[in-house]
Amino acid sequence: MDTVSALRQWWRGLEADKRTARQEIDFWRLQALFNNFKRILLLNNAILEDMAKMERALGGEYIFDRAFLESSVSGIAHRVHHVVYSLNALTGNRHVDLYDRYQDIRTLLDDILANNIRALADEAVLPLRAIGWEHEPLVGMDLVCLAALPASSQIVPVDGLAVTQEGIRALALVDSDHADSNHADSNHADTGRGLRLAEARIALRGQLRQLAAAHPGVPVAVVASRIDEDESPLQEMGSFLLSPDRDRPEVSLVRLDSPGDAVAERMVLVDPEPGRAEEEDEEGESGAAELLLHGLERIVQLVGEIPTADGPQPVHCVLFVHPQPPPVLAGTIHTRPLPGNPLAAEDGLVIEIASLPEAPGDCFLLRRTHPFELLRSHIAARPAGHRFADGRPASAASMEQPHLGRGSALVDPGLLRDLAESAMLLERFFGAPLEIRWQLENDGACRIARLRPLACEADPGLVTGAAELDETAIVCQGGQTGQSGVGAGPVVHVDEATDPETFPAGAVAVARYASPNLTPILQRAAALVTEFGSAAGHLSTVARELRLPSIFGLSDALDLLPPGTAVTVDGGETTVYGGIVEAMLRLDAMDMELTPQDREYRMLRRLLRFILPLRLLDPQRPDFTAENCRSFHDIIHFCHERAVEELAHFQERRPGLDTLRTRPLELDLPLDIRVLDVGGGIQPGADFRLRPDRIESAPFVAFLEGLTDPRARNSEAPSLGLRDILAGMPHSMGLLAAPADTLGTNLAIVGSEYLNLSLRLGYHFSVVDAYLGEDISRNYVYFRFVGGLADPERRGRRARFVAKVLAAMEFKTSVKGDLVVARLKLMEPDLLRAALLALGALTAFTRQQDTNMRSEADLAQRFAIFAAGFLLPFGAQELWEAGDEAS
Amino acid sequence: MATNEAAAPLRILILDDEPIVCKRLKPAFQKLGHTVETFTDSGQALARLGEAVFDLVITDLKMEGADGLQILNGAKASSPATQVIVITGFATLETAKESYRKGAFDFVAKPFKLRDILDCVKRIEDRRRDLPADSGS
Repeated sequence: MDTVSALRQWWRGLEADKRTARQEIDFWRLQALFNNFKRILLLNNAILEDMAKMERALGGEYIFDRAFLESSVSGIAHRVHHVVYSLNALTGNRHVDLYDRYQDIRTLLDDILANNIRALADEAVLPLRAIGWEHEPLVGMDLVCLAALPASSQIVPVDGLAVTQEGIRALALVDSDHADSNHADSNHADTGRGLRLAEARIALRGQLRQLAAAHPGVPVAVVASRIDEDESPLQEMGSFLLSPDRDRPEVSLVRLDSPGDAVAERMVLVDPEPGRAEEEDEEGESGAAELLLHGLERIVQLVGEIPTADGPQPVHCVLFVHPQPPPVLAGTIHTRPLPGNPLAAEDGLVIEIASLPEAPGDCFLLRRTHPFELLRSHIAARPAGHRFADGRPASAASMEQPHLGRGSALVDPGLLRDLAESAMLLERFFGAPLEIRWQLENDGACRIARLRPLACEADPGLVTGAAELDETAIVCQGGQTGQSGVGAGPVVHVDEATDPETFPAGAVAVARYASPNLTPILQRAAALVTEFGSAAGHLSTVARELRLPSIFGLSDALDLLPPGTAVTVDGGETTVYGGIVEAMLRLDAMDMELTPQDREYRMLRRLLRFILPLRLLDPQRPDFTAENCRSFHDIIHFCHERAVEELAHFQERRPGLDTLRTRPLELDLPLDIRVLDVGGGIQPGADFRLRPDRIESAPFVAFLEGLTDPRARNSEAPSLGLRDILAGMPHSMGLLAAPADTLGTNLAIVGSEYLNLSLRLGYHFSVVDAYLGEDISRNYVYFRFVGGLADPERRGRRARFVAKVLAAMEFKTSVKGDLVVARLKLMEPDLLRAALLALGALTAFTRQQDTNMRSEADLAQRFAIFAAGFLLPFGAQELWEAGDEAS
Repeated sequence: MATNEAAAPLRILILDDEPIVCKRLKPAFQKLGHTVETFTDSGQALARLGEAVFDLVITDLKMEGADGLQILNGAKASSPATQVIVITGFATLETAKESYRKGAFDFVAKPFKLRDILDCVKRIEDRRRDLPADSGS
């Protein structure tokens, strides 16, 4: 060999080495990318487990402390950050804005742990109907519970609004020497404080105007509550009545809770510019709103500070503002009898009707469980000439209802039961015995105006209770705690078909499955037991939201708990006792395990608000963006969807993958598939030309089994006309114009539990991206199917056929023209394996099927054939039969 | 005789500087008929252990002042028959080993299910019931 030849050979060798080295680097990069994807799945799984544990802690199943909350937040946040990093590594930093969202949420969580709830503050005023649990730090638990009442109860709260902590803070900026709004607004207009005050006033004026319009001329009650005390989170600071004068620009303010003379603090405030308000509308609502605003600002001055040794200190108050017409009747409910109550010889719920000082009121003791029977009552005789609160003489009532006379009860048993039911619901929401104010108004409606914790001592008969428990028969035991606590009532069997309206309020619901469709029933039930389902499921989350004692996965519950049997359910102990065990109900009410009264409960619930909710659901929607992620769950879901989407288009976006170390797969089909193993997808030592039996990748094995199944081959020759070919031309030309690698080679990237396959069969192009392992939470399939020679009608029919098959397997499917995109998640391994097998079969079956789908009957017939062969694991017998009938 | 002893309610002292743990454990044991005293200050708990004998002490491990192992020592010094369950949110193999070495009946990591600790107490009751028979044989 001469020198030149030797040099050439050396140079060629060097080039070959370089190529090999480049290929190896490319391969390592590819492996790194798939490792990133695998990491996202693993991390998401761990995060979801931690989230579930936190959420279950809310139900009282675990005993935990603040350290648990801190470590849970820290652990979840660390993993979420890692997920964001991995997605950016996978996608070439196309989602860096996710870091900002992560940081925003992390900061909020740290603030909550540091008890800095100012971070959560935003609205200055909220109508009661708009209040949810997320507003608890702003408005207090009493208003949250009151706002939750209409969904579950016959009796509704009064129509009102809350001036939140944020609103109070803003109104407290009013200079008391210049309390008129215009002065104060202009005084601070150029400062942040002034802006906050101006914004709060605008919001408050708007809400007060609506209130004044809905209740013209009606006085307004205002209750101020302090909600910043950690150990006793609700203290009443004062109650007031504001009465705007309709004729003069004046509002009177009466303090109702001041000791001694109730009118001692009566004040008259004068609107400095009455004309301005009157100009705005002729109805006078703006004027009334302006006067009410003045009154509220004065109340903030009265209650917004407390004297301390270091001078006056601001307190975090909330004002509840509601119209207060003179009621026909009004009274209180104590969900437990207070010591000294003459009716309280036995446990129960006390309803009192307030009366004039010279006339004793009626008093009733009812059972605390369904059907809230009347146990005792004391009906006061009305003195002659007695007038009700609305000024109506008592004798008028007896003329309207002749059965009434002196000594007759003023409320009927039905109303008493409704009141008792609402009171017990409120107690369950609140987590402690309550004092509840109610009023019967002129429109005939009974409304709840207020609630506050009832100060009652622990029951000295606890040990007696224990003795009663010893004698109580356990009917069944087992399953998982959904929500701890005790509920009792008659058993009612329910299923998805049960009409919630027919479910008796206060009964114990027993179901076979924990279907989300049972949600409306939960709002009326005293407890819930299901035979199947877990404490991590949706229905369990609802039970925790409602604080409904519940047990999930209690075997044979339907047989052991026949309809009509009275039982007592202890959710925390996953035990059902026979009969109504009063001792347990009493113990539960005294020490209601973990309740909203506990600082840890409130902190956990505030934390979960930024961790758990998944609002960003549909990746097809334009608002599915990093910017719209509002919880850690949103972020990891976003990352998962974007990672799957990246891999689903992976081969198109990275041309040249087939130059890597791929191997040909030897199939008995006219199909060239190259295989690239990224770890554990192929048996070690397999020949370069792979036989299918050397494939180890679980999802690929299942898919190939379906693809090569003889039943999936279509023996019928395709019916293809010139029209089909011409109609298919633009489409197929579009496909052909796609990057070469999408058509040239069918490439399967495989791992032991992973498959990413781009496949062209005839004119069909499909992508399968799947993970199949033993862990249900990581399992998924993404399937995309497009193309085909035929006229648009037949192609559309074929797309509907594919979608129908996918729907039978419970894929979430979208069809746009002849593009079908489908996803399936969280499947049992066996079922997912069957789904992948069916997808393989479907890929082969649909080859040129669109050209044969001349009618809807064709579609139905082919679906029936396919279902009989491949969909039986999905319970498709009825679908198959339905398809058969249609054909 | 053994049966009577087993049926007797236990005298239980619970110590955790987080009031929520005491608040939640106390009614669970009261419901079973036991007598319960709770403390959030380890110094006060140690003083109480010097005054009265308890059948069972449930103590947190990491606290200001005396830690759980000192409480364990104090309980055993006061009454060797007292059983001690150590609970902690910072569980490591080492702390668990040390707790057992010093005579803890069990070691429970926070957060824990109420059922876990009730089962633990049930085992203590079973042991108390069996002990007289064992010693007699």
